[in-house]
Amino acid sequence: MKAIIDVSNFTKKYGNFTAVDDISFQVEEGSIFAFLGPNGAGKSTTINTLCTIFEKTSGTLVIDDKDVSKQKAAVRKAIGVVFQDSTLDAKMTIEENLKMHCVFYQVPEKEVEERIHFVLNLVDLLPERKKMVGALSGGMKRRVEIARGLIHYPKVLFLDEPTTGLDPQTRAHIWEYIVKLQKERSITIFLTTHYMEEAEICQKVAIIDGGKIVAHDTPYALKKQYTRDKAFITTKDMDALEVALKEYSIDYERKTTYFKADAQNMPALLQVIGEQKDLITDLEIKKGTFNDVFLEITGRKIREEA
Amino acid sequence: MSTVFALWKRGLKAFVRNRVSLVFSLIFPFFFVYVFGAIFKNEFIDNPVAYMLSGVIITTVFESSLNLASSTVDDMVSGFMKEVLVSPVHRIHVAMGQILSASTVSTLQGVLIVILGLFIGIEFTSILTPIFVLLAMICVGIVFSGVGLYLATVVRNGQTFQIVKTAIAMPLTFISGAYIPLSLLPNTLKIIAYINPMTYATAFFRMIVLEKTGLSAEQLVNEGLAIEINGFIITPFFSVMIILGIGLIFLTLATRSFVKTDFSRLNRSKNDANELWS
Repeated sequence: MKAIIDVSNFTKKYGNFTAVDDISFQVEEGSIFAFLGPNGAGKSTTINTLCTIFEKTSGTLVIDDKDVSKQKAAVRKAIGVVFQDSTLDAKMTIEENLKMHCVFYQVPEKEVEERIHFVLNLVDLLPERKKMVGALSGGMKRRVEIARGLIHYPKVLFLDEPTTGLDPQTRAHIWEYIVKLQKERSITIFLTTHYMEEAEICQKVAIIDGGKIVAHDTPYALKKQYTRDKAFITTKDMDALEVALKEYSIDYERKTTYFKADAQNMPALLQVIGEQKDLITDLEIKKGTFNDVFLEITGRKIREEA
Repeated sequence: MSTVFALWKRGLKAFVRNRVSLVFSLIFPFFFVYVFGAIFKNEFIDNPVAYMLSGVIITTVFESSLNLASSTVDDMVSGFMKEVLVSPVHRIHVAMGQILSASTVSTLQGVLIVILGLFIGIEFTSILTPIFVLLAMICVGIVFSGVGLYLATVVRNGQTFQIVKTAIAMPLTFISGAYIPLSLLPNTLKIIAYINPMTYATAFFRMIVLEKTGLSAEQLVNEGLAIEINGFIITPFFSVMIILGIGLIFLTLATRSFVKTDFSRLNRSKNDANELWS
């Protein structure tokens, strides 16, 4: 697969402060790529530089074989951007916003109507097309922005925290659209998020902290490498369970009312549970999450939005 | 070019949709005509309503051109300009679109007052007069839309813009001869009036509306339609040059400043600032 985004040795400084420190990564064409990290890690700086808004300090950034700092107009044509904050024209209708965007991106006039229909259908907003943007809910606005970001058929769609500030239901919907989009149009999606669970639907994840990429792999590989499944066992006889766990050399932590045991060696754990089945009152297996990955790599939990 | 047209259409739509502001933009001028017309009756003036109205029309065009720049400020604050920034459009087209739509809307307001004025005192005997009136309004509209856009790119904040706009527009309109005849002003204010571009715009526009283009320079001065500074008469032709000169300066400044403005830094969001500096 061809790399549609190719960043090498990218550094961005604000005065003495280094926001992004010599990072390199590639994004494959047609994949969903997530940039994960806490606020201030350098996510938005990277995305804004890729979108031709900020100037890099050094390094090379290439999108679709075009240099981001030298061929700005060509890069802008090839990308669609959905920012963290709304950039819609609240005083106009959804349709008018999309039409304006088509003018900006020189979409052939004959195709405008068809494309409006297509993108609005994709985000389930076709019946609302004549509504004023100012009257829409936050989730609807985000959907309009995604529709607008797509209408000029970009090769890469940048989504800067597309689900921040939305309720869980709307968030799930937005993700549905994103996945649908990738499947139907084989568009490359570059997104940033600080919701760990959202990174799991992506093909590749780069974890960025303090301006550096600290991990870059598939979600599966990252989870496998940095997290362990845990079993939480409650029993009537704590001592008996402890002996059994030791016997099968399973790592565990004895808490006041339960055991937290390592669930990586499942056959051994099942043996223990089989032996103790009359005493065990509760068993819960917890899968590793991206929070664990982040915790493991950076030594701290990712912060929730302030 | 289609960008310019699309933005122009957008500005017009916003104007038509905002009926309240449309109605009020018409009430104010007539209020001023009534109040100031009653206070400053002058025996030199044979048609006081038309005299007052012409001044009020041109100040309305002037004020609303400046006012409309606040919609550009809104666009910056709302983030709409950020969307423009990542699109492949030329920024100069965006600046042109904004100036064109602002000047069209302000000219339209002027036209509406002229039409209403035809019922209460303005009379056009020549077919050329309305054409010249329209051209003069378009000219003033474009010039001061340029000034407005320049202010917008410098101020970049909605509330501050309102204050700055009022601080600039109020003295310029009140010391321009539009409401208060210049002859009634004290000497210090007269000096300010002489360096006020609106003084020349008003005098010139009034001359057209009152159809006094045939008068000699001295006669124009007597009727308050041309400005005399220490014996030197600023002829209508010279007035036009002054306005066009100012227009050229500010249109250049505005487009340059607009092209250079970094709209990405104007975002209201706290996150963005955190993103940059934390």
